[in-house]
Amino acid sequence: MNRTFLLQQVLNGLAIGSVYAIFALGYTLIFSVLRIINFTHGAIFTIGAYTTYALTGSQFGINGLLAGAALPFGLPFVLALLGGSLVAALSGVIVERVAFRPLRARGADPLLTLVSSLGVAVALVNITQYLFGAEPYSYPDPLQGLPSAINFGTAAAPVLVRTVQVVIFAVSMVMLVLLTYLMNATRTGKALRAVAEDMTTSSLLGIDTDRLVLLTFVISGFLGGVTGTLIGLSVGVAGPYFGIAFGLKGLAVIVLGGLGDIPGAVVGGLVIGLAEAFVPAQYIAYREAVPFALLFVVLLVRPQGLLGRAQVQKV
Amino acid sequence: MATFFATYDFLLVSMVLAAVLALTLYLPLMAGQLSVASPGFYALGGYIAAIMSTKIFPPGPGLYPVSLVLLEMVVAAVVSGVLGLAVGLPALRLRGIFLALATIAFVQILGVVALNLNVTGGAIGIFGIPQPFSSALQYMWLAVPLLVVSMLFVARLERTRTGRALVALREDELAAAAMGIDPTYHKVLAFTTSAVLAGAVGAVSAHFINTWNSRQGTFDTSVNLMAFVLVGGSRTFVGPVVGGLVLTALPEALRGIAGVAGLPEWLAAFLRDGRLIIFGVLIAIGTVFFPQGLITPGLLRRLVRRRVRPG
Amino acid sequence: MSGAPGPAADPLPAADLLTVERVTCQFGGVTAVNEVSFAVGRGELFGLIGPNGAGKTTLFNLITGLTAPSGGHLRYRGEDITGLPPHRVAKRGIARTFQNVRLFGELSALDNVMIARHVRTHSGLVSGVLGLGPARREEHETRERATALLALVGLADRPEERARNFAYGDQRRLEIARALALEPELLLLDEPAAGMNAGEKRALSELIRSVRARLSLTILLIEHYVPLVMNLCDRIAVLNFGQLIALGPPALVQKHPAVVEAYLGDGA
Repeated sequence: MNRTFLLQQVLNGLAIGSVYAIFALGYTLIFSVLRIINFTHGAIFTIGAYTTYALTGSQFGINGLLAGAALPFGLPFVLALLGGSLVAALSGVIVERVAFRPLRARGADPLLTLVSSLGVAVALVNITQYLFGAEPYSYPDPLQGLPSAINFGTAAAPVLVRTVQVVIFAVSMVMLVLLTYLMNATRTGKALRAVAEDMTTSSLLGIDTDRLVLLTFVISGFLGGVTGTLIGLSVGVAGPYFGIAFGLKGLAVIVLGGLGDIPGAVVGGLVIGLAEAFVPAQYIAYREAVPFALLFVVLLVRPQGLLGRAQVQKV
Repeated sequence: MATFFATYDFLLVSMVLAAVLALTLYLPLMAGQLSVASPGFYALGGYIAAIMSTKIFPPGPGLYPVSLVLLEMVVAAVVSGVLGLAVGLPALRLRGIFLALATIAFVQILGVVALNLNVTGGAIGIFGIPQPFSSALQYMWLAVPLLVVSMLFVARLERTRTGRALVALREDELAAAAMGIDPTYHKVLAFTTSAVLAGAVGAVSAHFINTWNSRQGTFDTSVNLMAFVLVGGSRTFVGPVVGGLVLTALPEALRGIAGVAGLPEWLAAFLRDGRLIIFGVLIAIGTVFFPQGLITPGLLRRLVRRRVRPG
Repeated sequence: MSGAPGPAADPLPAADLLTVERVTCQFGGVTAVNEVSFAVGRGELFGLIGPNGAGKTTLFNLITGLTAPSGGHLRYRGEDITGLPPHRVAKRGIARTFQNVRLFGELSALDNVMIARHVRTHSGLVSGVLGLGPARREEHETRERATALLALVGLADRPEERARNFAYGDQRRLEIARALALEPELLLLDEPAAGMNAGEKRALSELIRSVRARLSLTILLIEHYVPLVMNLCDRIAVLNFGQLIALGPPALVQKHPAVVEAYLGDGA
């Protein structure tokens, strides 16, 4: 295979993979602390994307209840991104209080929580669609000053990656480092790991489990919102249902990397991104099936994922 | 009366078919398995019927013979059963969340494949599926027997050795195995039976809806089925049937209310298009407040006792 | 009686029904059972005692296939059953009760016992649903046998009551009825007297004796309540930290120095 082509595909894979990775970080963080799969992460992703769009002062289109609505002000992109992600984080916290806390208080099976999160996600995404319609939107370009693509190859054999994708990759690496540092090197991280181990004992030991669960959902929601905006920036916001599609694909990413494993989320994301990039041209139509085929195979062959440890069941 | 049926003919048949589909989620659930694979078999069944009736059997004048529809149902059921066995045998060694995820993956993969094969018509799908009846209401001749037979099957199942084995697995898989019940065999049995039923429903639905494409039998369908079972009742076969009937009728009823003059536009729009919002919220509320659903075995016992007691 | 042949018809000459051969079980860094060997003779009432965490329940789990041993062999009626899954072990005639009662809580007492008739009955899905003659007769027989077993353990008055509503002591008796529905040759009882008062313990003791005699059972019994063990058992094995430290008739085991030391202050 041509070296230039190979490099191009690898970089494409890493670019899309890093988006999956940031999404998966939030997804897997909740599993690592609470042992639940929070499918609303995809809906939070949508909320983040749409809120950022609104905060840039952009106008919503012709469908939906709030057709033609626009905020009377417009923030610069980075501030809008932060604002949108904070709203996403807040939404995550509300979902936790309303939908998950009652289940956790009853010691409900994680399967029941998954089902509940599916319901909430579908409701939230459809509310968004009800309000704003399902048209595609794109953000005003924040990277106007910079060149639109960076060349990793040579002038004669260019290997181009869009600047926005490089930025996204950098963001994902920064997020990974920050989150790993948080979990392993801070007191809060240690407390989070204690809660993950055994919530009842942790709270008996004086750890404020409520506050830590809150923190987990804030971080996770923030990351979800960031991803929504970044993906919107990279390929445009393709309707609220994009969040459901991401939520589904995200399942493949976190299982592949290992449920609850933070570096695993990034590994899983990058692997799936690369797998998608390397689908041969004649099968490009089946690319969307690749993450799910991988998910199915991983579940059968190695359910703990690439980085997870095999679980021993105590009888 | 006649106008009622004429107006709601499509809805009534949809309600009955939805009730049968709800039972396909109920079957694996009897063994404690949450499998959302039935939309995949439903889609497969529909494609089989669509392909057979548009590409294999020659078109003729007049109505499409019902006997051929029945044949398609049998073929769809058998093929779904075989695929169900093939997928179920490896997948049902998984427990809980892992199984649910595997079945989600299965439906997604089937969807992508259906979207891309020529024989399934790609993104456009197959349309102009021949009609065995001259009106929508006459589909009840297929739908109602299908519902009755499946209800009888599941009701009987609950009173037999196999049914008891499934319920034991749901209660405590470990103890059930220690009492001699083969978990994998029974889980695969429930899964495959569910696939067979879903395939048959798909075959009828393809004719009923007249077109079939990759938008039938998707993740959204899984969400619908979960709503039917969670709200209707997950511990007795009556629950999913009632859930399927009522929740399919609900959006229509709401649409009717939306037509009432004087409602603010936002409410009317919500009542018209908010089906998935309502289902999603019902699922969320259901898991917290009535995880066994509305129709519980306890409720049924009380209703039956009231009828049996004289006076 | 359908299913496995009863002891009278079995040509197995040796007296040993169950042989545990150097069985070891390790999880993570813990060795729960360490090279334990003993044999249980046909018709014996064999006790298994030891301090908490000694590996007794793990040994039961190994015998019944819930856990696979990391080393050693298990033989039942001469056949190597090491590594067989639980449902196959049950089918061969080994039944058990659990330390923390594992009844099917939401189901009725009768259903609990009927479910355990599974391996001694044959009706499949189709014949059952269609209600064909043989299936219906079998269903009737299952119900009758289950009712009889409930009567045997003294719970005949509430067959339709949900299992979780029974008092703890009654739940333990229900679990025994359920285990007996398998028509086992070997019955493993895991602390059947736990949570019972003195009167109930006496009744249980009687029940175990009578059941053993009437059904020609071999019984392996884990129990903390030492008087029960001393009175009932023909032989006792003592485990401590996963190892077999003594084996013999109750009178001898009681005085064994290693046993006394293991139970120091434990009211032996």
